[in-house]
Amino acid sequence: MSPALELTSVPEWAITPTEPGADTTGRWWTIIAFGPAGGEVARRWAAQIGRESAVRSYEVAVGDDERARAALVGALADARVGWRLMMAGPADACLRLRAAAVALGVADDEITVASTDVRVRAVHCVHCRTVTTAAVELSEVLPCSGCGRNLLVYYHVSRRQGAHLGYMVDAEEQSAS
Amino acid sequence: MTAGTSALKLVVTDIDDSVTDVRTLTLTDPDGAPLPSFTPGSHIVVECGNGARTANAYSLTGDGVAPPAYTISVLRCPDGSGGSRWIHDELALGDTVVTRPPRSAFAPVLRARRHLLVAAGIGITPMVSHLRSARLWGRDTALLYIHRPGRDVYVDEIRELAPSASVHTRRGEFSAELTMALADQPFGTHLYVCGPTSFIDAVSRLAAEFGWPPSRIHVEHFGAALDPGEPFDVRIGSTGDEFTVESGVSLLEALESRGYTVPNLCRRGVCGECRLPVTGGTPTHRDLFLSDSDKQAGDSLMACVSRAGTDTLELNL
Repeated sequence: MSPALELTSVPEWAITPTEPGADTTGRWWTIIAFGPAGGEVARRWAAQIGRESAVRSYEVAVGDDERARAALVGALADARVGWRLMMAGPADACLRLRAAAVALGVADDEITVASTDVRVRAVHCVHCRTVTTAAVELSEVLPCSGCGRNLLVYYHVSRRQGAHLGYMVDAEEQSAS
Repeated sequence: MTAGTSALKLVVTDIDDSVTDVRTLTLTDPDGAPLPSFTPGSHIVVECGNGARTANAYSLTGDGVAPPAYTISVLRCPDGSGGSRWIHDELALGDTVVTRPPRSAFAPVLRARRHLLVAAGIGITPMVSHLRSARLWGRDTALLYIHRPGRDVYVDEIRELAPSASVHTRRGEFSAELTMALADQPFGTHLYVCGPTSFIDAVSRLAAEFGWPPSRIHVEHFGAALDPGEPFDVRIGSTGDEFTVESGVSLLEALESRGYTVPNLCRRGVCGECRLPVTGGTPTHRDLFLSDSDKQAGDSLMACVSRAGTDTLELNL
């Protein structure tokens, strides 16, 4: 039995593609978009905010976490209270960028996320700590790319790592060695 | 009762009345033992008067590390429930007072890059605690303080603890500086506000206008004397007991006077300790604990501040 999603650490936007409106309560914004689909969201957000001079937008390729993180770190170097982070792209990329933002002290109510694709999940193996990225649903099983164990994709996302928790699903069925 | 909520019996070892209408008490253990440590910004609930019809919360002004004494400053509230009048008029050196152990509801966020403290009047007291702790641990902290002329509570301590603190008696100058401060803080700053409710609301609103998200705004409600409210009728489901809660009397006080034991701590709608299940009637919540959806559900209330409309309030105790 799975718990209601809102009682877990898995954000709704990691399950269903979601496009919230722009957070217009801020005074400055950095929008980081992954890929063309994210870029379209970013343009809609920028139009909703309206204040062009207060918005900085970056579009990076899907998978280019490094450039996304660099844009975030750059923005934070001189950010003032009132700054907002908005990101749009595949949920797994957004989870990782959110983790970087949380580590840098950005609060949840300063982050807006639009997910353009939710099929791919990063799964952190609790046994060998390898992160396996694949198209997999919650509660499905996938082999760990590090240790080969069959990992159940548990309904928990680490805010710190931006990955789902995966644990060995058939540990009880192993023969004693 | 758990150790965390057991009462402390403390002796008044010093009284300072040097500021008009503000009485500062030093409270110590009768045997001179160190008192329980506390988080900066904590308060104690003091039972005021014999029989303790009133219990008021007062901020502790120390840094909180194994304190030899607790220091609180009490503003005389002529229109309050009588607790501050009792402290001002009745309490004497050597008397014993009963308090709850310190409770933290206004702690500094330790991850904050900077702490901006904004206080009005007696709302300075938790900030003094913050400043002492900030100096002890080297935290970047700024203070804006406005008080009425002649009511310069803790100004000497503040000058020593935070030489750059900005202390005002003129509203216009204070507002101008507050606006500039809220408009331009490094990302990662947290804001702490204490003072009368109207002051807290005004500062919070201004901060929101400058884009401060709720998670960076922390408030400590003081002197938030709620209106006495209309009388309302109560029925206790389990006993069939029916009675009226008069204007100016809280549901909690009414229940206590009828012999019901209701767990409680802050007695001002903050801590959630006195939450009671409601089985009938419509609560008027007035607390700061329940979420909006909890309040809409209407199936529980805080006995210390919540009241009810014209229909009989049914409680399941």
